[in-house]
Amino acid sequence: MPRPGFVLDVDRSTPPMLFHHGESLRLEKLPVGRSRVLYPGEPLDPLDDPEGAIRHALANPLGDCQPLRALLRPGMKLTIAFDDISLPLPPMRRPDVRQRVIEAVLDLAAEAGVDDVHLIAALALHRRMTEAELRHAVGDRVYDAFAPHGLLYNHDAEDPDNLALLGSTPHGEEVEINKRAAESDLLVYVNINIVSMDGGHKSTATGLASYRSLRHHHNVATMRQSTSFMDRHTSELHHSNWRMGKVIRDAGVKVFQIETTINNDTFGASGPMAVLQKREWEWTARDRASFVAMKAGLDHLPLKARRKIFHSWQAPYGITSVQAGEVEAVHESTTENIFRQQLVEVDGQTDILTMGLPYICPYNVNSVMNPILVMCLGLGYFFNMYRGRPLVREGGVLIMSHPTPWEFHPVHHPSYIDFFEQVLADTTDPAEIEARYEKQYAEDEWYRHLYRTSYAYHGVHPFYMWYWGCHGLAHAGKVIIVGGEPRAVRRLGFTAASTLQDALEMAGDVVGRGATITHLHNPPLVMADVT
Amino acid sequence: MKALVFSRKPARYAAAMVAGSLRPGRGARYGPLSLRDVDPPELPGPEWLRLRPRLSGICGSDLATIDGRSSRYFEPIVSFPFTPGHEIVGDLEDGRRAVVIPVLHCAARGINPPCDMCRAGRINLCERVAFGDLEPGLQCGFCESTGGGWGQEMVVHPSQVVEVPDALTDEQAVLVEPVACAVHAARRVGDGPAAVIGAGALGLFTIAALRSLARPSVLVATAKHPEQRRWAKELGADVVCAPGELDRAVRSATSSFVLDNGQLTSGVGAAVDCVGSEESLAQAIRIVGPGGTVHMVGMPGVTTLDLTPVWQREVALRGAYAYDEHDDRTHDFATAAGLIRELDLGRLVSATYPLARYEDAVDHAAHAGVRGAVKIAFDLRSERTAR
Amino acid sequence: MAPLRSAVSRRLLRLPFPFSAPTVPGGVEAPPRRQRAGADYDTTWARRYPARLARAAIVETVARPAVAALARPERHGLDRLTLLAEAGGPVVFAANHHSHVDTPLLVTSIPDPWRHKLFVGAAADYFFRTPATSALSALALGAIPIERAKVGRRSADRAAALLSDGWSMLIFPEGGRSPDGWGQPFRGGAAYLAVRCGVPVVPVHIDGTGRILRKGRKLPKPATARVTFGPPLFPGPGDDSRRFGAVIERAVAALADEATTDWWSARRRAHAGESPALVGPDAPAWRRAWALGDPDRRRTRQRRRWPEL
Repeated sequence: MPRPGFVLDVDRSTPPMLFHHGESLRLEKLPVGRSRVLYPGEPLDPLDDPEGAIRHALANPLGDCQPLRALLRPGMKLTIAFDDISLPLPPMRRPDVRQRVIEAVLDLAAEAGVDDVHLIAALALHRRMTEAELRHAVGDRVYDAFAPHGLLYNHDAEDPDNLALLGSTPHGEEVEINKRAAESDLLVYVNINIVSMDGGHKSTATGLASYRSLRHHHNVATMRQSTSFMDRHTSELHHSNWRMGKVIRDAGVKVFQIETTINNDTFGASGPMAVLQKREWEWTARDRASFVAMKAGLDHLPLKARRKIFHSWQAPYGITSVQAGEVEAVHESTTENIFRQQLVEVDGQTDILTMGLPYICPYNVNSVMNPILVMCLGLGYFFNMYRGRPLVREGGVLIMSHPTPWEFHPVHHPSYIDFFEQVLADTTDPAEIEARYEKQYAEDEWYRHLYRTSYAYHGVHPFYMWYWGCHGLAHAGKVIIVGGEPRAVRRLGFTAASTLQDALEMAGDVVGRGATITHLHNPPLVMADVT
Repeated sequence: MKALVFSRKPARYAAAMVAGSLRPGRGARYGPLSLRDVDPPELPGPEWLRLRPRLSGICGSDLATIDGRSSRYFEPIVSFPFTPGHEIVGDLEDGRRAVVIPVLHCAARGINPPCDMCRAGRINLCERVAFGDLEPGLQCGFCESTGGGWGQEMVVHPSQVVEVPDALTDEQAVLVEPVACAVHAARRVGDGPAAVIGAGALGLFTIAALRSLARPSVLVATAKHPEQRRWAKELGADVVCAPGELDRAVRSATSSFVLDNGQLTSGVGAAVDCVGSEESLAQAIRIVGPGGTVHMVGMPGVTTLDLTPVWQREVALRGAYAYDEHDDRTHDFATAAGLIRELDLGRLVSATYPLARYEDAVDHAAHAGVRGAVKIAFDLRSERTAR
Repeated sequence: MAPLRSAVSRRLLRLPFPFSAPTVPGGVEAPPRRQRAGADYDTTWARRYPARLARAAIVETVARPAVAALARPERHGLDRLTLLAEAGGPVVFAANHHSHVDTPLLVTSIPDPWRHKLFVGAAADYFFRTPATSALSALALGAIPIERAKVGRRSADRAAALLSDGWSMLIFPEGGRSPDGWGQPFRGGAAYLAVRCGVPVVPVHIDGTGRILRKGRKLPKPATARVTFGPPLFPGPGDDSRRFGAVIERAVAALADEATTDWWSARRRAHAGESPALVGPDAPAWRRAWALGDPDRRRTRQRRRWPEL
C-alpha cells in the first residue's frame, strides 16, 4: 500500500534534505524548529492491465458520449491528436501511454473500416517533434504506418492554409484551431495528464490552436488571475479554454477525449535513481552509497555529460487511470485521479518557500534548461503547485536551487536568446514586456520560419514562459536562486546566493529572522492543498 | 614651453608596440612620447596666429600612435618630431577663445590655387597634405611645423580657427572636433535601421549625432561596459547590447533571416563602425543589409576580411574622416557645437590631467570604458602660469 | 582370410559375461531398453542447471554471433510483450518456419524472462534421429522431441508438464520448414497445449530466413531477417484447440501482412478478414513461386536524415 504524501516538521534529528539542483543534487540542512517539508506520496499502484483498461474506457465513455466503436464508420474523417514531447516528464519508458491508447483507437478504427485517418502532435507553439521523439510517443508500428504517407505530423500553428477560425467566445476570444481537426467527423484527443493543469478543453483549445487564438489566454492578465493554474476552478486560463471548448463544440467539432494519468514513479523503485524518490531517513546503506557515488560522479563530470546522463533517463511510470468520452466529464475524473496521487493537505502558508529545481521542465526535453525556463519552472510550475492559497505568503521569499547557466539551445530556443539579451536587459516587468515586445517577437518571420521548418519553439514562447511566472513574480517579495550564475540570475531580476544558508540570511532581511520555511520536496510531484 | 613630443626613435617605437600590446596605453611610458621643454613653434607665415590650448582631448588615433598600432600608411603624411593633440580649445593672443579645425589643407599650406577638393570645400580630403609651406602632416597634432594641443603653445592658420561663443564651456568646446567627426558620418546615414559598433567616445557621439541628424527607424548599438550602456541609451540608441549580441539584436530589429555562416539576409542600411578592428568590420559586414553601407568612423588598420558578401550584396564600404562643409554650407563644427549644447555633452569629459601626468592620462584614456570614463583631456589652463 | 581373422578376433576379444552384456535366452522377452533417440528420448537432463548453463553459453557465444552475421535481424513488436513479461509465467511462442536459422534466430530474439527457461518443440524424426543428434538438439536448442506424423500422447504430455512447470515453449505449428517459401497449414499442437495448460500464445512471424538457408540448401547466405512478435493471445474459456489454432494462424498471417506492408493496413485487412493467407495461392508451383516475388529483394526502409539535436 503506497503511503500518501505528508508534511514533516524538521527537528534536531531530521537528516539533510535532498534538493534537486539542475543536473546535480544537493543535500541541505534546514533550520530546526521553523521548517517543514512537503513530501510527495509514494507511487500509486499502477493498473494491472492497462490495455484492458484502455479498451474498457473506450467502450464505456463518461458523460454524454457514445462508445468509440459506435462513433466510427467507414468513409469518415478521423483525426487523432496527441500530447507532444512536453509530457510526461521525464519521458516514460516504452511503450508510451500514447502508443497504447492510439493503437487501441486505431484497432477499433480498422475494425470499423475507417480509411481517412490523420495523426497530429498537438504541440501548439512548442517545437516540432523529431522522428525519434514521435516514434517514442506513438510507437514504431504507428509511425511506420502513417508517417511515410504524411498522415502523422506535427501541428503547425503558423500554416495559414491549415487553420480554421471557428468563431469567438462571448469574451471576444477568437477560436482558431487545426483545420484538419476542425473538419474531421471525429477528433480523438489522446492525452497524458502529469499535472492537473493539463487536459480538459485545454487539450484541443490550446494544443491545436494558433497564435491568434492562444494569445487570448496566454497573457499577463489571464495568468495573474489564475490562482493557481493547477486548479481549474480558480484558473482564468482554464475558464478561457473552457469557453473556447464550448465554441469548438458548438461549431460541430465532435471531440472524443481520452485522458490518462500516471503515478509518481519518476525514478523507479530500484535502479540508479531510486534513492531520489525515497524519504531521506529511510535511505539504506545501499541508497546512501549510490547517492554518494552519483553525486561524486556528477560533481566531476562536465555539464554536457551530466545533461546527457539525466536526459537519457526514462521514467518507469505506471498508468493509474484511463478515462474517455465527453471532455468535461472525462477531465473531472482525471483531475480526481491526479489529486489522489499528488495532493497533500498543508496547514497554512509559510514565509519562505524553498524548492530544488530539477534538470527538466516541459520545454527542455532533450535540450538545455536556460535561465528563462528556470524562472518558468520555479515561479510558474512549482509555485503554482497549490490549491486554495499559495504555499508562500504574499510578500514572502522564494528560494530556488539551480545552477542557472547562461546557456541556450541554439536550435530549440532561438527566440529565448534574444528575449534574454534584449527584452530582459530592458525590463523584467511582465506587463511591460507584453506591451512593448510581444508583437515583434510573435510576428518575426525568422522565428516563424524556424518554428515551422526547424525544431524551434515559436518566437513568442519565451514570453509565455515569463507570463507563466507572473503570478509568482507579483506574489513573492523576493526571489533567490541558490548556486545560480550571478550574471544570469541578475538578468532575471533575481538575487543569487552561493549557499542555502546565505539565501536564508538574505530572506531574513525581508521576512524577519524567525521566518517559517517550507520545502517543496519535488519531484516526484506533490501539490499542496493549503488551508 | 612644455610640450609632449613624439619623436622618431625606432627602438622606442618597437618598445611601444610591445608594451602597448601587453597593456593598451603602456606605450606612453616606454615609447617615443616624452614631456620636454621645447621652443614654441615659429609662425610659418605672416597671417598665422599663436594659440595657447586650454583643453586638449586624447583621441583613439592618438592612442594608436602611442601604442605603435597605427598603419604605415601615415608615414609620408606625418612629420617628426610632432606634438600630438588635435581636439583643441584654446586662447588666441587677441583674447578670443577658439576651437581648431586641425586639418592642414591647401590654405594653411599656402598652396594657391588650391586643390580640387579644397576648392569644393571638402578640406578633409585635401590632396596636398604632404606639400606646401608646412612639413607633411594631415592635421596639426601630426605635423612638426604647427605644434599640437598637448603643448602649451601652438600656431594655427586663421582658416582653422572657429571662435567659441561664451555659452559653450571649455569642456563642451573641446568635444566640438570629435563630435564633428560623428556629425560628418551621421550626415550620410539615411532614416532606415542603423547600427553603431562601439560605445567609446566616438561611438557615443555617433549615436547622438545619428539620433539628431539621421533619425534612423531603429538604432542598435553595442556597449561593453555598464556606463557606456547607460550613455548609449541616454543618447538615443533604441537597443543596446553586448558586442557578441549585436548580430542577434540586429536580426530581431530587422526581422532578418540568418544564413548558416551567421550572415544576416537582411540587416541595417547603415552599419557605423566606431571601433575599426578586424572583428568590428567583419561584424559590420555581417549585419549590414544588401545595398547598405558600412561607415568606417573608427580608424581601421591592416585587416583581413572576407569581402565576398560585400560583392554579392553590393555593400558599400565608406570611410568617414574628419569633417567638412556640408552641402548647405554649414560646417560640421557648427552642427557639432549645437548638438553639444543641446545634449550637454560636456558631461562626457570624464577627467582632465596636467601634462606632467601624461602617462596616467593615456592609461585612463586607454581604459576609459572599463573605468566608466568617456573622454579624457589634458588641462593646460593651470600650466599657463608656469611659463 | 579376412572373415576368418575377424571371427577369431571377435571370439578372442569377447569378454566373459560379467564383463559384458548378457545374452538373452530364447523364450523370454527382454525388458524394453531405454530409448537413445526418437520421440521417446528423455531430455530431462537438458533442463538441469549444468546443461542450462552450457546452453546459455552456446546461445551467447555461438548462436548470437552467427545470427548477427547471417541474419542481421530486425526485431519488432517486443513492446507488445512488456505487460506479459511483468506478469511472468510460461508462454507458447508460435512461429512460421522457413529455415534452420529460425530456431537460433528466435532463441536469441525472445526476450529475457523467457529466453533462459525455454524449450523448443523439434521434429522427433529429424532432430532426434540418432543419439548424437538427440543429445546435441537437447543441449544446444533445449529441444524436446515432438512427433509430427501422429498425435503423440507422450510428447504432448511432456510438453504440457514442462509448461505447467513454468517453462516456455517455442513451436513451429507448420510442422516443418517451408518447401517453397510459402507457409503450410498450422497444426493443432500449439493451440492444444495453450488451451490445455491455460497459457498465452505469442504469435511470431519470421521473414527472410528462407533467403538465408531455405530447405534443401546446404550453405547459408547472409540476408536480412525480420522477426515480428504479435500481441499475446489468451485462450478463452470456451476455446477448443481447433478454433484457437485458427486464431493463432490468423494472427501470424496478420503479422506477415504487417511485416510486409504496415501495421495500419494489416489491421484493417485483419479486421476485414482479408489478411493474405500464409499458405499462398492455390495454384501450380510456378505461379506460387511467381507470387512470392523477387526472393532477394532487400527491405528498403525509408531512411531520412535528421539533424543531430
